[in-house]
Amino acid sequence: MTPIAGSVALNLAFGFSILTVLTLFLYNKNGDERLFLTGQRLALGISFFVFLATFILAYQLVQSNFDIDYVARYTSLETPVVYKISALWAGQSGSLLFWLFILSIYTTIVILQNQQKHNSLMPWVIITLAIVQMFFLVLTNYVTNPFKPTDADFIVSNGNGLNPLLQNVTMAIHPPTLYLGYVGFSVPFGFAISAMINRDTSPLWIQSIRRWSLVAWLFLSIGIILGGWWAYRELGWGGYWAWDPVENASFMPWLTATAFVHSIIIQEKKDMLRVWNMVLIIITFTLCIFGTFLTRSGVMSSVHSFTGSSLGPIFLTFVFSIMIVSFGMMYFRRNDLRSTKKMESFTSRESGFLFNNMIFVVMCFAVFWGTLFPVFSEAIRGTKITVGPPFFNQINIPIGLILLALTGIGPLLAWRKTGKKILIRNFTFPIITGLIVAILLLIIGLRGAVVISFSLGAFVTATITTEFTRGIQARRKKFNESIITALIKIVSKNRSRYGGYVVHLGIVFMFVGFTGHAFDQEKEFSLKVGESNHVAGYNFKLIQMSETERPNHYAWISDLRVTNDEGKFVTNLHPEKRIYFHRNPDPNRRQPHSELDIYTTMNRDIYSIFSGVDSENSVAFIKIMVNPLVQWVWLGGYILVFGTIVALWPRKDQ
Amino acid sequence: MNSNKKFILMITGIITVVIFWISWVSLNPADEKAMATFVSVDELLEDNITHRTKLGGLVKDGSIVISETNHLDCVFILKEGDLELEVKYGRTRPDLFKDGAEVIVTGLYENGVFHADELQTKCASRYEGDLRNEKSYNLSEIDS
Repeated sequence: MTPIAGSVALNLAFGFSILTVLTLFLYNKNGDERLFLTGQRLALGISFFVFLATFILAYQLVQSNFDIDYVARYTSLETPVVYKISALWAGQSGSLLFWLFILSIYTTIVILQNQQKHNSLMPWVIITLAIVQMFFLVLTNYVTNPFKPTDADFIVSNGNGLNPLLQNVTMAIHPPTLYLGYVGFSVPFGFAISAMINRDTSPLWIQSIRRWSLVAWLFLSIGIILGGWWAYRELGWGGYWAWDPVENASFMPWLTATAFVHSIIIQEKKDMLRVWNMVLIIITFTLCIFGTFLTRSGVMSSVHSFTGSSLGPIFLTFVFSIMIVSFGMMYFRRNDLRSTKKMESFTSRESGFLFNNMIFVVMCFAVFWGTLFPVFSEAIRGTKITVGPPFFNQINIPIGLILLALTGIGPLLAWRKTGKKILIRNFTFPIITGLIVAILLLIIGLRGAVVISFSLGAFVTATITTEFTRGIQARRKKFNESIITALIKIVSKNRSRYGGYVVHLGIVFMFVGFTGHAFDQEKEFSLKVGESNHVAGYNFKLIQMSETERPNHYAWISDLRVTNDEGKFVTNLHPEKRIYFHRNPDPNRRQPHSELDIYTTMNRDIYSIFSGVDSENSVAFIKIMVNPLVQWVWLGGYILVFGTIVALWPRKDQ
Repeated sequence: MNSNKKFILMITGIITVVIFWISWVSLNPADEKAMATFVSVDELLEDNITHRTKLGGLVKDGSIVISETNHLDCVFILKEGDLELEVKYGRTRPDLFKDGAEVIVTGLYENGVFHADELQTKCASRYEGDLRNEKSYNLSEIDS
């Protein structure tokens, strides 16, 4: 009975979405306020039925109702409750419903927020969001329905269960966070479309979406970082980023979104870059839909493709329709989008922003090119050429370094034009800092991109420090405050600016971490109990190997003693080799899994993998990686989140 | 020259440089492992392709031989349809590598042997399991 209720709710939501669009169209024709109110309520109705459907599916998952195909496929009786719920976004149809669920939350918030404000943009915002909802409702209703019953001619006694790789807290949070980001850009997109249709050329609409864009950007960033963290701690290849198509799918909208959150500042403050901002938000939103498609369609073979399907044509049609309609609209509104002001000088804050934007878009294009390289090469030359991480690294390292440099240069430029005197005053200290670091690194024998990266990091850090000290000093002079009070005051008076600097600092930390990758070392070897091996200045001795049976798996646990070259004890590592479903009579159904163990410091991680076991001869096969500076990436992530929250925090008077 | 023209010139310049850079890396990647051509075993053997390739297939039952000395070097037969290819691989094997596993190998073909330096296994079939097959969700594996 209840599963049917789920299907009915989805059907009703679809019906409501059609009604919403029709009613609001009608309102735009004749301006009857009652129609607008009805339209709003209908739109809330869509969200209501989507919520209902999502809760029904979640409830069925928790109850293990295997009459529903989705429940049987992604959970089993023994799956812990938390992961039964997270199975909501483990498979294709469920995750599409979940996308819709988040979109409905956002839509509801937008409608409720603007209900009293008589925002003239709202009708078209709601129409746009309802059309996006409609698309996902078509998918979940007619293409891949999460409430599809299990074939009726047999009874499922237990479901397939959730992949143990996905049974991990991070993995339970990573997809929803990423979705909160992806879906979040629907709102600014809706406002952009509405502003174009309403010929609203004021910077006002930009203000109403600035916060939305930052929130979406924050979730997207957290989602990406969590994904890397999960890959690093679970997958056991020792890295956090592999330029996998699906990773790229989340990175591309992140790049354009980052450009967007920068360039809307210019439109807000200077009323410039109108066309550019429109292009950016359209591309970002399109890439979000495209990302969902890449993740969920299985066109790219990837670790993420837990699903394979025929969604391709429908998604691509939607993606192209968005682009054709949006860019078409831009063409018809080209006169309204013309900015009144022009760039005055290369050495202005505006042009700094413009260049940073260009580089972000360029990087996005480079990633796009690499991701679709196999598709392009097959179309052009008939051979499917795949590109690996070295390709992406080679292309993106120089671009990334230019971006890092701009992170430092941009904030030091003045609006309109920076005079020579100010240029010298602002840049002397940071450039000297960068040069000193570069010289020191060259002296200790480092060469190449590594030196550039570290010294640019120092340069940017110096610019951020300059900005903070200058602000603090100005206040101290004027109000005679203590350093701490002055710091709090400058930040709270200009949250987005100083929050932004903190984010930049986080980015510097992350670059330090990325650069550490150049020094990674690894070694694979086998050890008998009592034997030891040497990797990158550390000695690894296998003290003992034990076996144990746990509720859902069997494990071999190694006890590795790590000492440094001077023989000093560093740590004990206990990587495990596990077999899940070890009691299954069919050996092919048992699933081996390597549970790794990492010793972490700010300088380096010692990463150990128990890759295989020969229990007869008690030999363990161990892979050790020594990865310098990885911790900086995660720390940078925390700083980035903190900075964004500072920038987002509402001011008292608002 | 007014500032607007300067900017347009600058932007065009950047775009040109970038297009040049991307195509240059696409044609001459610095690392030979940057690119691999996806081919079938049939194409590989017929055309005797010696540049870096990627192949997919199944591990022939009972064909895996693991070195006694270092336990890392391993040789197995990759099957694609009726065609067979000997593959050498000397790094840590993925958890799901075993007889009958669906694998993708990347490497070089030399003197009748494929020297792989990457070995990927496809996701466990269990989680795409056939619900009709009782074995795939056998209740007996649930622990008390």
